[in-house]
Amino acid sequence: MAIEQKFSDLIHADIDGEISATEKIELQTFLDEDTEGRALHDELASLCTTLDHVEQEEPPTFMRHIIMNSVPPTRVAEKPPGFLQVLLATPALKYAATFAAGVFLTLSIINSSQLSNHAFDDVTGLVGSVADPVHSKLASSVAVNEVDIAGTVSLRSVGSLLILDFDLVSKDHIDVEAAYTDRTIWFNGFAQLESEGTTVAAETGLVRLGMQGKRRYAVYLQNEGGRETTVSLRFTADGKVVHQARLDYAPAT
Amino acid sequence: MSKTDDTKLIERCIHGDRGAFEALLVEYEKPVFNAAYRMLNNRDDARDVTQTVFLKVFENFGQFDPSRRFFSWIYRITLNESINWLGKQNRLEPLLFDAADEGKGPEQELESTRVSAGVQAALMTIKTDYRTVVILKHFLGCSYVEISEVLEIPEKTVKSRLYTARQQLKDALTGLH
Repeated sequence: MAIEQKFSDLIHADIDGEISATEKIELQTFLDEDTEGRALHDELASLCTTLDHVEQEEPPTFMRHIIMNSVPPTRVAEKPPGFLQVLLATPALKYAATFAAGVFLTLSIINSSQLSNHAFDDVTGLVGSVADPVHSKLASSVAVNEVDIAGTVSLRSVGSLLILDFDLVSKDHIDVEAAYTDRTIWFNGFAQLESEGTTVAAETGLVRLGMQGKRRYAVYLQNEGGRETTVSLRFTADGKVVHQARLDYAPAT
Repeated sequence: MSKTDDTKLIERCIHGDRGAFEALLVEYEKPVFNAAYRMLNNRDDARDVTQTVFLKVFENFGQFDPSRRFFSWIYRITLNESINWLGKQNRLEPLLFDAADEGKGPEQELESTRVSAGVQAALMTIKTDYRTVVILKHFLGCSYVEISEVLEIPEKTVKSRLYTARQQLKDALTGLH
């Protein structure tokens, strides 16, 4: 014999903890006398216990980072610029500083053919020019979404300067290679935001970086002729390629 | 997190505070991902839907009705996005379980995966209207009133759908064993 709808509803409400005291007494009286009702109550209670105890899935490791990278930058009231910012706000001085930093790094890194374990110390203005997209034009951007590494890499341009803007996070050490076939383009500097620990080495047509953790850094390339070019990116973990991508730059027509 | 806390964070988000948005993301990332996963039965699809949900939330904070609770808004977006995703993919809902558990012993993992797989397989056999109420009730811990608020349907309909869904799940689980 089918259970009356009213009692079936009370059984569900009881299991869900959404039953009043009066209803509870009424249900109990029913269950004391009805074996079919008790069987249904037990079955549903067992089902709900199973459903309630299914383990929650852990979201993918880098999902939060990717979401945060996808939302627009914070709109906060601007602080009055400091002396260095005012100085570097003059484009000629900013580019001169960029050039000077590039020359310094090129000499100190390329000539010695060694990896640098420290970021260049005085790159505030340079980083500022990367972090503020108003002053640079986005040429192309790629999202990286792998188990070993995630985030975005963008290629921006300011005059004849190309800026590779890396915003990445990795659990373990990752090697990144940025290769460009146009030999007239030369490595012109490196800057990083928020953290230290990224290593950088450059040779003709290739910049090698090493990183671990959450990192925001930029590589500056001088594209004197403003020519169309492509930068190939390769990410490796323990010598194994985990991701490859390419970024294209085309001059405005 | 309380409604007051959420409301404060949303006010800060409206003013462009990324830190407040990240706090909401930390709070709701897991339930949103799990709701999408249970709807879609695929971790990659659930990840994409979760990302879409949070971007939509960020872009539409101005349209959020502060008289409502934030969770009901974001869960509604999640379920709608998941249903849209199912429609766009036009896919047959697979019964295979896409398990990727980490960090458990082999026996625990086996048992946990077996139960989870069975439940997921059963969930995928019922209509999305029924699946949504089960997910809200059993995976997101919503009450009848809260489910009614999320889905914007009468509480009576919530109960009716939930009771039917459980009967169908019970039959499906019996059939699977």
